[in-house]
Amino acid sequence: MTAMELSAGAAKRRGAGGWRWSGRIFLTFLIIFTVMPMAWMFITSLKTGFAAMQYPPQWWPAEPTLENYWRLVDPNGSVGQDFLRYFWNSVWVSTITTVLAVLVAVPAAYAFSRFRFPGRNFLFFAVLLRNMFPAVVFLVPLFILMKALGLVNTHGSLVLTYLTFGLPLAIWLLKGFYDNIPIQLEQAARIDGATRFQAFFLIVMPLSTPGIIATSIYSFIGAWNEYIYAYTFLSRHDQMTLPVGIQRFFSENATDWPGLMAATFLMSIPVVVLFLVLQRYFVRALTEGAVKH
Amino acid sequence: MSTAPGQAIFRDVPAPKRPSLGRQMWSHRTDYYYVAPAILVMLIVIGYPIYYTIELSFFNTPASLALSDKTFNGLDNYVTILTSPVFWKVTWQTVIWTALSTISAFLLGLAAALALHREFVGRGFLRALLLIPWVVSAVAASYVWKWLYHSDFGAIGAMLVQLGLSDQPINFVDNVNTSLYSLIVVNVWKEFSFAMIMLMAGLQTVPDTLLRAAQVDGASPWQRFWHVTFPHLQGVSMVTLLLLAVQNFNSFIIPWIMTGGGPAGSSDIWITHIYQLAFGRQRWGVASAYAVILFIVMMVLGYFYVRALTKGEDSRAAS
Repeated sequence: MTAMELSAGAAKRRGAGGWRWSGRIFLTFLIIFTVMPMAWMFITSLKTGFAAMQYPPQWWPAEPTLENYWRLVDPNGSVGQDFLRYFWNSVWVSTITTVLAVLVAVPAAYAFSRFRFPGRNFLFFAVLLRNMFPAVVFLVPLFILMKALGLVNTHGSLVLTYLTFGLPLAIWLLKGFYDNIPIQLEQAARIDGATRFQAFFLIVMPLSTPGIIATSIYSFIGAWNEYIYAYTFLSRHDQMTLPVGIQRFFSENATDWPGLMAATFLMSIPVVVLFLVLQRYFVRALTEGAVKH
Repeated sequence: MSTAPGQAIFRDVPAPKRPSLGRQMWSHRTDYYYVAPAILVMLIVIGYPIYYTIELSFFNTPASLALSDKTFNGLDNYVTILTSPVFWKVTWQTVIWTALSTISAFLLGLAAALALHREFVGRGFLRALLLIPWVVSAVAASYVWKWLYHSDFGAIGAMLVQLGLSDQPINFVDNVNTSLYSLIVVNVWKEFSFAMIMLMAGLQTVPDTLLRAAQVDGASPWQRFWHVTFPHLQGVSMVTLLLLAVQNFNSFIIPWIMTGGGPAGSSDIWITHIYQLAFGRQRWGVASAYAVILFIVMMVLGYFYVRALTKGEDSRAAS
């Protein structure tokens, strides 16, 4: 090997090393950018109201306290009563929405994946297009509809409207999973004497469990985080869900920042935990439809 | 005597192309049972509101939303919007918001996906960590960033002062020149990891053998990216960009909670503006007309979205 070739090889290695190092430096900055707000949320939630309102800020509280959290989960205090009520309202609304969305979406997604009926493409894209439209397009007429039905200030109004975005998404995600289950499996079952429904329940359903789990988490998180409908339809405090309810900590003049940060932190825990535990399914569901292997 | 579907047609018509639509639908009738519940729900909660929004946009409806008192006023609501300077200001801000958020989130996501593509210890952990902003609610994100940006006690302002980059805490959000861009940072923080996982999934479809072949042939990392990796990412990039653009165009929570569109409308975008018109000022007709215009814009975007998706579908069917 000549000296020239050697130096060319070294340069190439240096080049690759340079890329690797710039990648590492970039990742470090990205992580700081990503984590800093979450960390600051947590640090602030450990402060007293006095400690939070200082300049320059205490980067770590001089006297960390869990007081803000105790206040939120204390069923005897007024703050705790409200917060726990919002929390259960959120759990309740998100669960019902998820169950309904998945129940309705499973047969629909299966049909879109397997059958070739006329209007299939049209209906499927009508379903997909729904995701393109902002809540605001639906807000005024749905508000009128809910008023007419007497559903304003009820959880029924939320479940019904959450289905408008939960259902199309669920159908889309589930279709991606069904598309990946070989149709030959069902055909074999049919040849062995299973009916169409048996083939579906005994063969397809068990195989699509990961898809159903992923779709359920997705629906749940979507409903849990929803704000605009809840903000518009609910004005009674005992009906509010968390994203709307935590406004009570916020006011222009005297915001209880540590309390607000503790509340947003507690509000984020369920979705983050759900996500971390099941992220494999979650990521797969999300990218399934967009990436063709 | 039973006849198979299509048999009668064969007898009467010499060269039938395909059975009639009605007949096709009849022979597939059981298929519709599967989709019927979904279609029914969609009709009630989607078809009806769209119809109603269009209707309301041609009427003047009293603030009390007493529908029996609404009066037909033709295209007045549309004329009001298109001749108002606020419309063009808000539209321009919406374009900036959508374009800057989408491009920044995409590029940041692409860089992150490339940096995380190689196997290394802790890669899965990092990916999960970076995805957290995307999972937490926009409401939580908005409040945290509002606190970070706080004009007196905000962490970002204080940090800039301590690093010597600024003499005094900067007022990011309550400033007509910076509010929109401050919110875009929040938005990018919230959604770049969505682009990241989409592109990470896309990167897995790039054949390793091609990359290695290019390396053997002496291609630099940049050449390998540009000539091998990037062409494979085009499909998923299109879908990701479109989804991000749609999502950003439809943003509401971050601007609404952080600034309410202010100060002086400097961070107002379409959705917050429509919301303010409808539920703040009870101008139902004008707000509905806005929604209809928005609807038409989205239909155009939707056309490209569907085209990008079906292109993928066709190529999969062919492979």
